[in-house]
Amino acid sequence: MSKRHLSRRRLLAAAAPLAAAPFAAKLALDRTPDASAANHSAMDMDGTEMAGMEHASKPMMGHAAMIGDAAAAVGGPNDLDHLLYPPAALPYEPGRVREYTLTALDREIEIAPGVFFAAWTYNGTVPGPVIRATEGDTLRVKLQNAGTHPHTIHFHGIHPSKMDGVFEVVQPGDDFTYEFEARPAALQLYHCHATPLKKHIAKGLYGALIIDPKEPRAPAQELVMVMNGYDTDGDASNNFYTVNGRTFYYARYPITVKRSQLVRIYLANLTEFDLINSFHLHADFFRYYPTGSSDSFEYTDTVMLCQGQRGILEVEFAQTGTFMFHAHQSEFTELGWMGFFNVID
Amino acid sequence: MAASVETPSRAYAWRLWALLPLVLLALVVGVFVARGDSLLELVGQSPPAADAVDIRRVEFHPGQLRIHVTNPQTDAIKIALVTVDDAIVPFTTEGPAKLGRLRSSTVVVAYDWVKDEPISVGITSSTGIETVKDIPAAVETPSASARGFLGYGIIGLFVGIVPIALGLLWLPSLRRTSPEWLAAFMALTAGLLSFLGVEALAESFQLQATLPGSTGGAGLVLLGVALSFLGMTLLSTRLSGKGSHAKGMTLALLVALGIGVHNLGEGLAIGTSFAFGELQLGTFLIVGFMLHNVTEGLGIAAPVAEGRAAPSFSRLAVLTLIAGAPAILGAWIGGYVTNDILGVLFFALAAGAALQVVVEVSRFVARRAPGGLSSGYAVGGYVAGIAVMYGTGLLAA
Repeated sequence: MSKRHLSRRRLLAAAAPLAAAPFAAKLALDRTPDASAANHSAMDMDGTEMAGMEHASKPMMGHAAMIGDAAAAVGGPNDLDHLLYPPAALPYEPGRVREYTLTALDREIEIAPGVFFAAWTYNGTVPGPVIRATEGDTLRVKLQNAGTHPHTIHFHGIHPSKMDGVFEVVQPGDDFTYEFEARPAALQLYHCHATPLKKHIAKGLYGALIIDPKEPRAPAQELVMVMNGYDTDGDASNNFYTVNGRTFYYARYPITVKRSQLVRIYLANLTEFDLINSFHLHADFFRYYPTGSSDSFEYTDTVMLCQGQRGILEVEFAQTGTFMFHAHQSEFTELGWMGFFNVID
Repeated sequence: MAASVETPSRAYAWRLWALLPLVLLALVVGVFVARGDSLLELVGQSPPAADAVDIRRVEFHPGQLRIHVTNPQTDAIKIALVTVDDAIVPFTTEGPAKLGRLRSSTVVVAYDWVKDEPISVGITSSTGIETVKDIPAAVETPSASARGFLGYGIIGLFVGIVPIALGLLWLPSLRRTSPEWLAAFMALTAGLLSFLGVEALAESFQLQATLPGSTGGAGLVLLGVALSFLGMTLLSTRLSGKGSHAKGMTLALLVALGIGVHNLGEGLAIGTSFAFGELQLGTFLIVGFMLHNVTEGLGIAAPVAEGRAAPSFSRLAVLTLIAGAPAILGAWIGGYVTNDILGVLFFALAAGAALQVVVEVSRFVARRAPGGLSSGYAVGGYVAGIAVMYGTGLLAA
């Protein structure tokens, strides 16, 4: 292990020949205490820092300037674990009730280093928490509105009209419990449907809802990625793009997965203002199941989704190493929607 | 006896009394600062700060951008993120990242920019407000090299000194001309200086309008004009002695000074424009300025010609340097240390100086010219001066 550690370090140092000491120093100063105690991606960060020290005279450029500590990302290494790793799938059991409580909260969230966004959130984060149920479960989701505007939750899936989150608007201080049978099995999503709709979504009220089939999916390392954007200056176009709410977060803290092991990604697009968003994986191919509602798939490395579209990606990485994933709209990539997989044996 | 003792102490008491309004003002201001917010709430809530920075200048160096940023608002602004062509880029700041009122910083970005292509840079504040500056074409910013220094020097020489020296060659002809025609040429000098004054004033106001509001309004222009006008008046009185009026070499020196201050501004404008890549480095432009400025030489020659003694060569050389050399200095300043506030002041100083010299020359014409100010020669000369400057000015536009 320690031998591989060293070789990767050298590899990254070679890949980052243009690292700059001033920039590394600035980030070192800016780094929060818990970030410096990073664990699962510490190797990569060390590698980049080494590169920074060795090539002090040259400025850091290119993607080498966007990995590890050099990435323009906020927070500690485990901050987004609850959004990335979904709760475990439960085997089908007749008559089970799954209960969740979502609290609408106005929150000032830091989405990029030093950039704060006045968000409307479910449970304090953008996107909101991952909700999971097995097909046939009764889903009981309580919405408590602790915000300053009326909100709802509109779930995708099959359910009665009075549970659709369109007419039962929850006023600030009030609450409402949505109850319906979870179906069909697919990657669903949920979002606020109060008006003005565009504003309520752009402010951050959305999240992923996984409905597992009664016949369980194959065991896998499961990841959830909700793609979004932030319009921080109110001109109806996004200034930043992310997965799971923070720019370049998985560039700073690459997602560690195992080679040859099944990785399943639940991918949803909740980007407001832009017509589409996309996902591209470097150096490998995946099976893409649109909406995750059937067995038919496309074997590809790039998928395109409009707002509200989602699907399931399955991949067994063929190689170890550091692999980029990002929106294949270059603009989105360079405004925050970019990360890395760290594939190990 | 008692009264004479009382008077000084009473005067002293009245002087103390003069301090009272200041003390009370300080008290009222203190109370308002302490409680002002609650008072303002009676009127309504303030909108949030705009948080838009002022991107003063973007320098292009090989593999690097340097973005000069100023905070034009009262509230502090934090530079949180930098984008180039809509992409987040790593950056460092020279100076504070959190800018207080009117504070500046330089943002340094390692960037592989493309020559001659449009580029935009954006500064995002901590509240997510992005200020974008579009640059029509990326051109490398000249750095202080010996070659560039020499280049600006030569431009200044051709624009300032050469045409004035050439203009002075009219001197022998002027010395042999009749008093009527000499008066006409003096009036011409006044006309061209009026033109320069108005031009500098307009330039000053134009530049001032682009400054952020908090760095001073039109008053800044007035300050410059008043300073140079009064300074030149003082100088004129000192040089020509109490009670008498400027004439001959003294008047020529004043004219040279007035033109010199103007040429400083002209050199500044040329240097700045070249440094920003806004002007084509064309020979036509330099030729235009040369033709324009030959008339300035004539303006200096006219009062010299009126003097009794023939002037020495060295005196003429000094006059030429006073009027022309500031163009070189201006080109250097403009080329390397651009500062818009400085630009406003320079042009305002030029306007004040030119207008003061117009007053001096007009007095002279009024006293000496056959028929005074209303003679056909004087009026015709004055109008011709303005027309000639306007005509040759078109060449440099």
